[in-house]
Amino acid sequence: MAKRLFVTPYRCTDCKNCEVACSFVHTKDPRHPALTRVRAYTLKNEVKSVVLCLQCEEAACQMVCPTGALERNPETGAIERTDKCILCKMCTVACPFGNIHFDEQYEEIVKCDTCGGDPACAKVCPTGALVWADEPIPDHKVEEQVEVKPLPWAMTMPAK
Amino acid sequence: MSETKTVRITIDGRSIDAPVGQTVLEAARQHNIDIPSLCYHPGVEAFGACRLCVVEIRKHNWTPDWKQLVTSCLFPVEEGLIVETRSPEVMENRKVVLDLQLARVPNSDVIRQLAAEYGIHDTSYEKREDADDCIMCGLCVRVCDAIGAHAISTLSRGPEKYVDVPNKDACIGCLACALTCPTNAIEYIEEGNMRTIWDKTFEVVLDPVNKKPIATPEQIAHFSKQSGLPEDYFTKSDATRKKETAASFARVMFD
Ligand code: FES
Repeated sequence: MAKRLFVTPYRCTDCKNCEVACSFVHTKDPRHPALTRVRAYTLKNEVKSVVLCLQCEEAACQMVCPTGALERNPETGAIERTDKCILCKMCTVACPFGNIHFDEQYEEIVKCDTCGGDPACAKVCPTGALVWADEPIPDHKVEEQVEVKPLPWAMTMPAK
Repeated sequence: MSETKTVRITIDGRSIDAPVGQTVLEAARQHNIDIPSLCYHPGVEAFGACRLCVVEIRKHNWTPDWKQLVTSCLFPVEEGLIVETRSPEVMENRKVVLDLQLARVPNSDVIRQLAAEYGIHDTSYEKREDADDCIMCGLCVRVCDAIGAHAISTLSRGPEKYVDVPNKDACIGCLACALTCPTNAIEYIEEGNMRTIWDKTFEVVLDPVNKKPIATPEQIAHFSKQSGLPEDYFTKSDATRKKETAASFARVMFD
């Protein structure tokens, strides 16, 4: 069984590490981060949750695409947007989960591609809300199994 | 996975296995060999309009001094094909193409930059008067057809030929033509919830929550027809849907 991305929303603290990692991994220009494919939220009553593409077996985005531009990568199982895309944006309104987007900065359709089988979001998730593994990690094992690597960081210079 | 039949070809001295049915341009790009193109788009049928992708070919059973210039976006790979993408003849041909394009669209940044890469800084032909940036490559026509709106077509003949939307009712205002045009020749205006393209103005449906534009009513009607989903399915933006998904995820987990 290939590795999968396991999402456990109640472990999410809405720290947004995943969003930062996602947009930087997919960016072509470090000055303009790409639109993040994964989103963390603080909902009503301070409930936190995180969402990203479920790589549906019968995916609405794939079914509506007029050029067959959304192809499943046989190795990772992820549905990837290929260069066949003609930007009709039909997929962005067809996905019932809102997991495929139009990046206005780069004028392209973006969706989770599990970073080619090594998702950056899971690597930086400190609580195990996102885990890239063969099987889900039970709560009592999270602390010992989730290894948190610090984010590369930068410092701003205060304006004079 | 099913075995696809491949043929062995040579591009710029590199031996490459390419699946049958692929074009020379596709095979080259798959192996990171750069061939410039304008009218080619992987999502729609190739058209061979811009002639920028010319390459030189030889076949294994031809006498050595035989060669031919072909458009690589249309030419299918075949066993023993020998391709040169930067031979003197190819470069000369591309220069002529770009020189002519520059005469047609002297104000296009894309063409000016491409031409400059081939050492052409000014056209040696007469510049077209009141020139827009359209190179008549017909990509917009093919893209619109793929979407199923069939709104754009070429009109007239010869040097008078141009692209337009003859029947305004057919245009759904999706902007795909403008976004894929290789020379950004198709203008559109977006102001608030109003969108204008091809001299037609659309009132864009806004997301009920974040008030961001989603699609034009014509687009929604078209999407609904194409997909069989009801029109009210398309009235939320991806951002709103995503947040709803997050909420329902949280709910499932807590219950
Ligand atoms: S890309 Fe081949 S002719 Fe335009």
